Amino acid sequence: MKRIYVIEDLCNGCRLCETFCSSLVNGVFDVKQSRINVIKVPGEEKDIPMVDCNGRCVRPLYDDGGPTCVAVCPTGALIYEERDDAVARRLELEAAREEHGLFKVIAPWKWPLPWRRPGADKVTPVMETDL
Amino acid sequence: MTARDNRVQTILWADLSNGSTRLEMLPEEWTRKYLGCRGINARLLFDEVKAGTDPLGPDNVLFFGTGPMDGLPVGMGRMSIACKSPRGTVAEGSFGGFFGPELRRAGIDYLAIRGQADHPVYLYIEDGRIEVRDASHLWGLKTNETDAALRKELSDPDVQLRYIGPAAENLVHASPIFGNLNNSGGRAGCGEVMASKRLKAIAVRGSRGIRVADYDAFLEAYKVLRQRLDLATSRDMWTPVWSTYGAPVLARLFTDIGNLMTCNAREMRWDFDKATRISAENYLDNYVTKAKACWCCPWPACQKLHEIKSGKYQGFKGGNYWAAQPVTFGSLIDNDDLDWLLVISGLCNQYGLDVFHVGYTLAWAMECFENGLLTMADTDGLELRFGCQDKDGLIDLVRKIAMREGFGDLLALGCAEASKIVGRGSERFCLCVKGQELEGIAERNLYMVALGVAVSEVGPDHTRWYPPYPCNPSLISKEELAELGIDLDLRLAFQGRNPEQKGKLLRWFTISRAIVESMPSCVFLVRDTLGLDMRPWWNLFKAATGVELDYPEFVMAGERLLNLDRAFNVREGYRRADDHPPIRMATEDVPYFGYRKLDAEDFEPMLDEYYEANGWTVATSIPTRKKLEELGLGDVADEFDALGIEVE
Repeated sequence: MKRIYVIEDLCNGCRLCETFCSSLVNGVFDVKQSRINVIKVPGEEKDIPMVDCNGRCVRPLYDDGGPTCVAVCPTGALIYEERDDAVARRLELEAAREEHGLFKVIAPWKWPLPWRRPGADKVTPVMETDL
Repeated sequence: MTARDNRVQTILWADLSNGSTRLEMLPEEWTRKYLGCRGINARLLFDEVKAGTDPLGPDNVLFFGTGPMDGLPVGMGRMSIACKSPRGTVAEGSFGGFFGPELRRAGIDYLAIRGQADHPVYLYIEDGRIEVRDASHLWGLKTNETDAALRKELSDPDVQLRYIGPAAENLVHASPIFGNLNNSGGRAGCGEVMASKRLKAIAVRGSRGIRVADYDAFLEAYKVLRQRLDLATSRDMWTPVWSTYGAPVLARLFTDIGNLMTCNAREMRWDFDKATRISAENYLDNYVTKAKACWCCPWPACQKLHEIKSGKYQGFKGGNYWAAQPVTFGSLIDNDDLDWLLVISGLCNQYGLDVFHVGYTLAWAMECFENGLLTMADTDGLELRFGCQDKDGLIDLVRKIAMREGFGDLLALGCAEASKIVGRGSERFCLCVKGQELEGIAERNLYMVALGVAVSEVGPDHTRWYPPYPCNPSLISKEELAELGIDLDLRLAFQGRNPEQKGKLLRWFTISRAIVESMPSCVFLVRDTLGLDMRPWWNLFKAATGVELDYPEFVMAGERLLNLDRAFNVREGYRRADDHPPIRMATEDVPYFGYRKLDAEDFEPMLDEYYEANGWTVATSIPTRKKLEELGLGDVADEFDALGIEVE
């Protein structure tokens, strides 16, 4: 069964997921009604999304039926996958982080351009992921 | 608690002299006429702060404005702060973060602060209730210390704060207002005005929801906006780069094309290896720890947190590295040590200083020193040369600027005032317009920038006509431009060193960005065609507020704002003669590529074209009665008449 998984250290704390989610039932943007909340700790250094939802979105923003919170997340901190695919995604991120500093701030599947692999002089085209 | 809608906006008046407060509704008509945020701030400022008001006295009013889109996922948490600058002009600036949405959720759209408290205070606002609390224990604390102390005191992780640092308390030139540790706004003097009211901080907490008028239309309009801004679908080559690396990614490119202000802009090219060391690539690879964002931004990592991982400054943490730091503490003073650069700019944040003020004033002082206009006797024994050999001495100098000690007291006046005191030709090294330091963007090969910096009502502020670098003109056809009512030949207008069309281009950029900041949203998001085709913004505004207005009316709101800002300056005595580039840009050629100085022959026709396109009197820059009446601002023309200002 697909679930919403959180990659906590990719979250930039923008609250898009929380804000959109809160409005889906009655059109009022009110954080108290949200099924996902971003917990902030003083010092700005941690943003922690807490999900209280089975992923069956009451109103998906796009036609693919995926949850709105996942669709609007800019960094890839939220994913909606089967368990094994979620593990693969997580490992894909770790591998990408070994290759390029960019993936400290964005997931590789959210980055639209090719990047230079370690030791390479040139940028090679983006590989299709196995997912 | 009931949800609020966005059609009627509220204002909370607070008088710190007697502690009185009053919550009022603004006229519903204003949402249509001025939209909100910067637009309504401009109207309030023109109405409430009359000509000749003492900027640091009790009669100056400090406005914090949100707007109909704040608290919705397009407002990006933007807020506009406005007051009269200590330098006499409009002082308006904006910041992102999370404060604006929280203020709206507390039921307040605008906060107007007048008067002066007799001891340091902070404001605590919770759901429309406001308390003036003692802040004696906070006065003198740095911005990060203030943030930590207030969060501890209020013990609420979601309380939103705005505060000033010791620099503003000491009325240091150009001190902005800070929040979320690394965000700042209002460098035209808003921090100084806040300090003059003895107001150290504002804390806000709200619990109301915000309802849009037409939810389905709002979602559809959001999808269009998102498509133009999303990394995967935006047609703008800058979107992915800008939203992760940010502006310092241009450092190496700019040094190669003679576009990087080096050694106080007497050079425009820097050593490529030096530029590499301070580039965004090096920063992202070796310093960044985490992405950060403002409220609901569709971009992943416009802001970042960083930590210095080794060496003398190991463990120093901070946030954000945008265009300001690599220029002001990099090429401008010829420093290529990114560790030290991040420390000194981080200290500016902690003291509450403006990095442009400190960077340009240091560069000015270095050039004065190298030319013998300042000596070791003036600088408290500091060897002040480009290349920054005495790094510890410069770090201490930043503290002395904030505390106004010794030589720091001279630099705390800002470059323009300091060069008046030093005299003897030091004015030539001062890169200021209207008493305010530049912002690191080259002028002599980007004529629109030169014009925009010169005419800006608040002094140099590139966010008023963002972006300074031309986008791809082929994204929009001539037919579409005509349909949108934009009379421009983009290919000509985007030629950097051709004076033609620059006035008209700047006018369009200024009024369209004014609309974006009035909704509000972030001007960094005018990517793809969102800076030319304002219809996606218009659709969002209509859906959120339920106000029915046609497209030309919507665009006119931006023009109204520009005319109100200009009218404020006119009333304070500013005229065409005040709209000019810094002496260096107007009199010295760039030493390579044949980029010439901005001489009158090229510059004056651009000014003519700009004033004419705006419907202002070309000789004086005063808006004409005809233009003001067309915009529904007849009362402004009447006020000019009453004050004896010659309005055509």
